[in-house]
Amino acid sequence: MSVRVLNPNAEVLNKSAALHMTINAAKGLQDVLKSNLGPKGTIKMLVGGSGDIKLTKDGNTLLKEMQIQNPTAIMIARTAVAQDDISGDGTTSTVIFIGELMKQSERCIDEGMHPRVLVDGFEIAKRATLQFLDNFKTPVVMGDEVDKEILKMVARTTLRTKLYEGLADQLTDIVVNSVLCIRKPEEAIDLFMVEIMHMRHKFDVDTRLVEGLVLDHGSRHPDMKRRAENCHILTCNVSLEYEKSEINAGFFYSNAEQREAMVTAERRSVDERVKKIIELKKKVCGDNDNFVVINQKGIDPPSLDLLAREGIIGLRRAKRRNMERLVLACGGEAVNSVDDLTPESLGWAGLVYEHVLGEEKYTFVEQVKNPNSCTILIKGPNDHTIAQIKDAVRDGLRSVKNTIEDECVVLGAGAFEVAARQHLINEVKKTVQGRAQLGVEAFANALLVVPKTLAENAGLDWDTQDVIIALTSEHDKGNIVGLDLQDGEPIDPQLAGIFDNYSVKRQLINSGPVIASQLLLVDEVIRAGRNMRKPTA
Amino acid sequence: MGISTQSHGIQSMLKEGYRHLSGLDEAVIKNIEACKELSTITRTSLGPNGMNKMVINHLDKLFVTNDAATIVNELEIQHPAAKILVLAAKAQQAEIGDGANLTISFAGELLQNAEELIRMGLHPSEIISGYTKASIKGVEYLEELVESGSESMDVRNKVEVVSRMRAAVASKQFGQEEIICSLVADACIQVCPKNPTNFNLDNVRISKLLGGGLHNSCIIRGMVLKSDAIGSIKRMEKAKVAVFADGVDTTATETKGTVLIHSAEQLENYAKTEEAKVEELIKAVAESGAKVIVSGGSVGEMALHFCERYKLMVLKISSKFELRRFCRTTGAVAQLKLSRPSPDDLGYVDSISVEEIGGVRVTIARNEEGGNSISTVVLRGSTDSILDDLERAVDDGVNTYKAMCRDSRIVPGAAATEIELAQRLKEYANAETGLDKYAISKFAESFEFVPKTLADNAGLNAMEITASLYTGHGSGNAKLGIDLEEGVCKDVSETKVWDLYSTKLFALKYAADAACTVLRVDQIIMAKPAGGPRRDAAAAAGAGMDED
Repeated sequence: MSVRVLNPNAEVLNKSAALHMTINAAKGLQDVLKSNLGPKGTIKMLVGGSGDIKLTKDGNTLLKEMQIQNPTAIMIARTAVAQDDISGDGTTSTVIFIGELMKQSERCIDEGMHPRVLVDGFEIAKRATLQFLDNFKTPVVMGDEVDKEILKMVARTTLRTKLYEGLADQLTDIVVNSVLCIRKPEEAIDLFMVEIMHMRHKFDVDTRLVEGLVLDHGSRHPDMKRRAENCHILTCNVSLEYEKSEINAGFFYSNAEQREAMVTAERRSVDERVKKIIELKKKVCGDNDNFVVINQKGIDPPSLDLLAREGIIGLRRAKRRNMERLVLACGGEAVNSVDDLTPESLGWAGLVYEHVLGEEKYTFVEQVKNPNSCTILIKGPNDHTIAQIKDAVRDGLRSVKNTIEDECVVLGAGAFEVAARQHLINEVKKTVQGRAQLGVEAFANALLVVPKTLAENAGLDWDTQDVIIALTSEHDKGNIVGLDLQDGEPIDPQLAGIFDNYSVKRQLINSGPVIASQLLLVDEVIRAGRNMRKPTA
Repeated sequence: MGISTQSHGIQSMLKEGYRHLSGLDEAVIKNIEACKELSTITRTSLGPNGMNKMVINHLDKLFVTNDAATIVNELEIQHPAAKILVLAAKAQQAEIGDGANLTISFAGELLQNAEELIRMGLHPSEIISGYTKASIKGVEYLEELVESGSESMDVRNKVEVVSRMRAAVASKQFGQEEIICSLVADACIQVCPKNPTNFNLDNVRISKLLGGGLHNSCIIRGMVLKSDAIGSIKRMEKAKVAVFADGVDTTATETKGTVLIHSAEQLENYAKTEEAKVEELIKAVAESGAKVIVSGGSVGEMALHFCERYKLMVLKISSKFELRRFCRTTGAVAQLKLSRPSPDDLGYVDSISVEEIGGVRVTIARNEEGGNSISTVVLRGSTDSILDDLERAVDDGVNTYKAMCRDSRIVPGAAATEIELAQRLKEYANAETGLDKYAISKFAESFEFVPKTLADNAGLNAMEITASLYTGHGSGNAKLGIDLEEGVCKDVSETKVWDLYSTKLFALKYAADAACTVLRVDQIIMAKPAGGPRRDAAAAAGAGMDED
């Protein structure tokens, strides 16, 4: 072979062998992720190199942790990751959709079709499906008053595919409320303004929304208050600790008095800054008010001591992102120098308290006025539960955000896929000339993989084929129905409140065929250079 | 070795060294097996007659205990499924501080029964749904079983405290529970704050001193420091205390300082000014009325000299946390630098003295009057491992106290609650239609392991006991439990074995949760174990050396 002549170490796969490899890889990946799909999907346990456990149902997490090596699988996995980046959900669907496209193509290719023709058909089908999607979607009007119910339904649909039902339903409210909390009219939603904090404590159902902020550190002085009400909050980025000069300096003294003088001189500038803060506290605080300083830089023990003696709570080394959130949550503004201290720059919180869990300290800033930032406090008895909830919450937040931005939703429970398939077979296929028809058909059938897999995972006693037939015939009658996973009967997703994100479906329909086409058009796989599989050492 | 064209499935796609297990046989059943193994280990340690385990950890430290939390902690479980159980036990330990064994054993039992169901042909998801229903119902029933009148209690009443604590402590140190309970109860009641829910575990200290026996153990209102006083003054009565966090020494600048000396006189003078400065400081402290100086850092020779001269007792506590506790004991406020303390910052002790107990010199700070928030349980025992085990029992006792401060409700102990739950859940299962029925009744059956194990461990006939318990409960006596000493069933209000409601509640929830998690997993993907020296190889090498 020609490549062999050029590089004797290169490995080559040709024509059908290459095609089969890619198809097999796509199918293999599909097999792995298939059982994840839908609310009845099963959990995978990932055991890390150091024996740490991760439990997940989320396709994206799984792909990330699995460390796939097969080149085709990597390509598919990347598409899935792109799906996650753009819409935050639908990774599993992407992978199984691509797998199914490859599976359908395999049949046609085995019958002697050229991949190019199939790809043309995919392209036509893709465009038609996207068009259909735009007609199919349910618009949602996002005025000033958001329709909370629809957001809840979308969030619930997403969350139920990641977590068990009871917990998912509870998180639904949390997720929707948190997004509405940070939403500002006329501005894009910045999900980073929702802080996600976890505590290893109690049960997963104790997860809650904190209107305010939770910081994962506490005050470092034993005499500071653990709990304070009516707090003025100073958010600042001022160093309150002695900093060594950059240049190599030294003191020269010849008796102890001189040294004492130097010790005080050294501290003077820091002390002055602290005093300014204390002055401000005295100015604004009445008898029942408290004062909290949250500093991004350090506060050294002598400064902490000064603050503590004035009854001020001082928190040092707050995270940068939290400084931004604090200002959004409590009001006021972040101060960068003690010279611009004014009462106006202070924020306000009804309650600040510290919670100690073993070695860890948490500070809660709660009961704030008109928060534009909030915290989802995840609780769980162990790390893997927390990680699982965290991933789910992130996806839930994204789905709510998507809905608000898309201003529309798509009926879920497989309804869209079945409807699109029927549309392609009954309408589009007839308008296509020649062999590309087969491509359209393959694409249409591949769409059915979603309801099929949903049915399979539900694992009840009904036959998958029966289910699909029931669904398609309902659609032919003009009813738009989805799959009820409890009894396997068709249901109306609108009534059941199962809605998917428009952008998720759009991205799925867009990226799936593209990657499948690329893979189908590969006719040679060349691996040159060092074989990484064989350990060289 | 080409690019594989044939291989199917996921294995071919993973990196070398990765393992992938999936399906019922490979994943679920294997997981259950592992969890069963784990629970058989802990099970024999359940209850007052539980056996001790000897665990040697990777540092060659020996543990002799029947405390499940310690056992599983030191076992370093590797199997991922068994680890989930361990995590549940740890969560229980962190939340309540007791009942870890119950959690693991119960979860193991649930899984064992789940295996039977799987072999019968049930799908894991059906078992999960049944178990979830059963655990929700179980929690409801448990609440009904709460002994009426126990919702409110006086957490300062020793008798009431002991009655609630006894079962927890007895399961660790059977036969000695009276002594330990009374010690722990005294210690806890003494430091219990006005609002009992704010009870802080840290305020009950345990000091283990080798020698003597348990009956030599005592409570000290104050702290026991395992160190000697630095100076020659070893005893002080009714003294004020000044605490300095940073050390008692000459002050130093943050920036490096250099002493500039031109002549011999200056050198001499310098030493004098230094001396004068330290003397001035120490004098200031002495004049403030303080008789005892506690330093968080080093104590300079010169400073010590002046302390002696001004008849000050000097102590060094290098742990920051220990220093904070000392502050709490005495009511002192720690000063950062050596300076004249203001009267408010001074603490007070009734007596502080260096004593020799069992060959160890310890400093005991006593504060009998109010204002003291720390008490210490001094444990005596003949060997280190006995002391460690006593400590764990005391820990459990203190944890139980904390739990009862938050929720004082109690349920009958000695397996009475478990049997009652089993019985009620069985009735519930019979009323249920559909496949959940099987899982719920297995869940109910799982509770039987408690009386069985208790009886087994005590050398009684488990079947007989369980049967008579059922008969008793069937005829309406919900408080019938096992009396392990006499080997018969007795009403627990006679034997006075009560468990805390919250312990049982959390154990039940965590165990059911862990079991369901294990059942939910149908695929395991294991990464290649991370590099680094393998521990078992190192241990083998260590063992080899021992033989030499």
